Amino acid sequence: MPGKNILEMRGITIEFPGVKALDGVDFSLREGEIHSLLGENGAGKSTLIKCINGVNRKDSGVILLDGKEINPSGPYDAMQLGISTVFQEVNLCPNLSVAENIFVGRQPMKHNQIDWKEINRRAEELMSRFHLDIDVTRPLSYYSTAIQQMTAIARAVDVQAKILILDEPTSSLDENEVQLLFSVMRELKASGMGIIFITHFLDQIYAVSDRMTILRNGHLVGTYDINELGKVELVTKMVGKDMDVIFSLKRAEVSPDAPIMLKAEHIGDSSRIDDISITLKKGELIGFAGLLGSGRTETAEMLFGASRAVHGEIFVDGQNVSIKTPFDAIKSEIAFCPEDRKRDGIIGDLSIRENIMLAVQSRKGFMHPMTRQEQTELADKYIKLLGIATPDCEKKAGELSGGNQQKVILARWMAASPKVLILDEPTRGIDIGAKAEIQRLMLEMCGEGVSVIFISSELDEIIRCSNRIIIMRDRAKVAEVDGESCTQQDILRIIAEGAA
Amino acid sequence: MAVKRFDLSGLMQSKVTWAVIAEALILLVCFIIRPDFFSISYQPSTGMLYGSLIDIVNRSAEITIISMGMTLVIALGGTDLSVGALVAVAGAIALKFLRWDVLTYTTPGNYTVYPYILVIAVPLIVCALMGLFNGFLVAKGGIQPIIATLILMVCGRGVAQILTDGKQFTTGYSPFRVIGQGSFLCLPMPIIITIIVVVAVALFTRKTAFGAFVESVGVNPSASRLSGIKAGNVILLVFLITGLLSGIAGLIYSSRIMSNDSNNAGLNFEMDAILAVVIGGTNMAGGRFSLAGTVIGSLIIRTIVTFVYYFGIVAEATMAFKALIIAVVIVLQSEPVRKYFAKRAAMRRAGAKS
Repeated sequence: MPGKNILEMRGITIEFPGVKALDGVDFSLREGEIHSLLGENGAGKSTLIKCINGVNRKDSGVILLDGKEINPSGPYDAMQLGISTVFQEVNLCPNLSVAENIFVGRQPMKHNQIDWKEINRRAEELMSRFHLDIDVTRPLSYYSTAIQQMTAIARAVDVQAKILILDEPTSSLDENEVQLLFSVMRELKASGMGIIFITHFLDQIYAVSDRMTILRNGHLVGTYDINELGKVELVTKMVGKDMDVIFSLKRAEVSPDAPIMLKAEHIGDSSRIDDISITLKKGELIGFAGLLGSGRTETAEMLFGASRAVHGEIFVDGQNVSIKTPFDAIKSEIAFCPEDRKRDGIIGDLSIRENIMLAVQSRKGFMHPMTRQEQTELADKYIKLLGIATPDCEKKAGELSGGNQQKVILARWMAASPKVLILDEPTRGIDIGAKAEIQRLMLEMCGEGVSVIFISSELDEIIRCSNRIIIMRDRAKVAEVDGESCTQQDILRIIAEGAA
Repeated sequence: MAVKRFDLSGLMQSKVTWAVIAEALILLVCFIIRPDFFSISYQPSTGMLYGSLIDIVNRSAEITIISMGMTLVIALGGTDLSVGALVAVAGAIALKFLRWDVLTYTTPGNYTVYPYILVIAVPLIVCALMGLFNGFLVAKGGIQPIIATLILMVCGRGVAQILTDGKQFTTGYSPFRVIGQGSFLCLPMPIIITIIVVVAVALFTRKTAFGAFVESVGVNPSASRLSGIKAGNVILLVFLITGLLSGIAGLIYSSRIMSNDSNNAGLNFEMDAILAVVIGGTNMAGGRFSLAGTVIGSLIIRTIVTFVYYFGIVAEATMAFKALIIAVVIVLQSEPVRKYFAKRAAMRRAGAKS
């Protein structure tokens, strides 16, 4: 029995200089419904959301909340109307306690003083509603991203929200944390709240939502019930192309007598990784599977010198190398795309050109500069090769979409022509078309003789691309399986049981 | 190759444009009140050009030189508060070498006790090392630049006092006088030194990749490190340069007064230098920097001061007046104002097209 519409948007059009970000889009949200909003990057999802919470002004169209027309002037105004948004990046103060974060700006008062007892009691109550039994007086930074996310949600729903907008809440959560979030979402749904959910993970959409609306290039493709549309059709509708075409990938071919390109023997730093050994052949792609915190990233960082290994030896192309800093690794022709694109990858205020030339230039040292023309040629070459969507190489890298930023970072390392390329979650948080392209590029590089280490939380892409898969658990390597013959179940079982 | 169209809207958004406009406006006001403000005359007896404009550039030398280094520090996302104190240190050391044993050489005159090369080199080396000390605290100690440089800001003047036993030495050594009062190609020597410094810093940052590395570290230190930039070395070098430039400014300053003044030499120079950089369009949060903008920023500050002297505004009101004009300049450069004019420029262009 579908509930009544609490939110209705009709004919929403938003124009930015030169582009129509949204063109006559209709959208509705029912009471007690989880409604997924889908589309590739740049399809208009964020614009639509920002229209609901008043960040962007619509050029035409109407928004009805409970049948009454509204024109929210900003997120605060929208919140007063009962529309709360939890953004992708948690907008909280890490140095304040969980309780303070929930109530900051609207602390309950008693005798003209902040009623701390009340704040902490109510915060505890809210968090226990989410089945979280935590100390709300601890600073937010003490807790994991998942808990921080829950705090943001708790803050949002405590303002008597009728509509909750979740913009990519799961992109930095691991599987258990995602489940926790889902149970909270279902709880809120049962209480009659309408939830708009944005994510790039297709499985999650099917796991939790009731309906979905698909956007493409600012146009509405359609709104569907969740069982109405299969995964393949969904992707086809999102991308406008057939999925088979997108994912026609071929695993890298490694001849049995290919030389060993990277050999790490018993490396470890005692505190994070105890002892791990890896061999990687020329042109081979190995996947690192395992849960968040299983030691995948830590191992990669050690190989690259981002954190220092205290024991063990690393050989690149047969040479014993000492890697203490990223600079040493780059000298030894190892490249590393870090997991956190924003924090460790992209240099947002600099141009695409500068972002791409950076690794090449840092290897040369600043006294041997590339000319402006060399830089531009290099950047233009990779913009073309990787299909980075930009008018020219002088655009600020920070203004690109996630997928294009990832391509810029990839270009930075491809330009450095490494022998070993380590990619930590290169496809996280980017849309499915860009994802397929990154995977294709990765495999193409293998074909050119580059050895790749591929870290991902998504098992299907690991299995699809890898020659071998190393399974990590509790900061150690527990198994190594063949990529071609193993299945998702095999890997999950090993992760769960800890042995092959 | 596509021909690059003249982009008025982009120009209006640039802070440097607004700095140039502000400077032009101040000069225009000067011109309206006193048309002879712009006159430049040649004085055959000294072989030098004279005039208010020359004076502005000459007197801005110390701040311009220091703010070249400050630009790089701010581009890294930091500030260097110690530059003013280093000016005092440089002066104290120079005078110490000129008049080593005051008890023996009781009267100042045209002599130096230690070789002239030491009078010049030692202050510069000491200031560069002090800059390196700042850089070391920041790069290796992870201390915030504003705190790290506070140490030398406070104790630098103390060091200068100790070096000169709390006394003010004077000298009459004429080669030393040349630095601040001499001339070359009809121009005052400080202007020549400023030009050399500005060109050297510009070449060093823009003709090598150093400038790009500084900007990169300033925007995102973590990503820069993972791209192979030795961020620590970049920071060390930037603070070393700033220290060295403060030393040069210190020599100019003490040569102008032919004396050392541990209390007042370089007083508030750090503030003027930061202001010059900010007016010049470099963001305090780090990232992109503009040396040309900084030069204009420094000229604006000096133009205001000259303006105040020249038009006989009462001395008590000088500071307030300076603050007032700077406030106007900063507001002109603020994001909303720039956006407003950029939008109008864009609209006018769109109107002209249709």
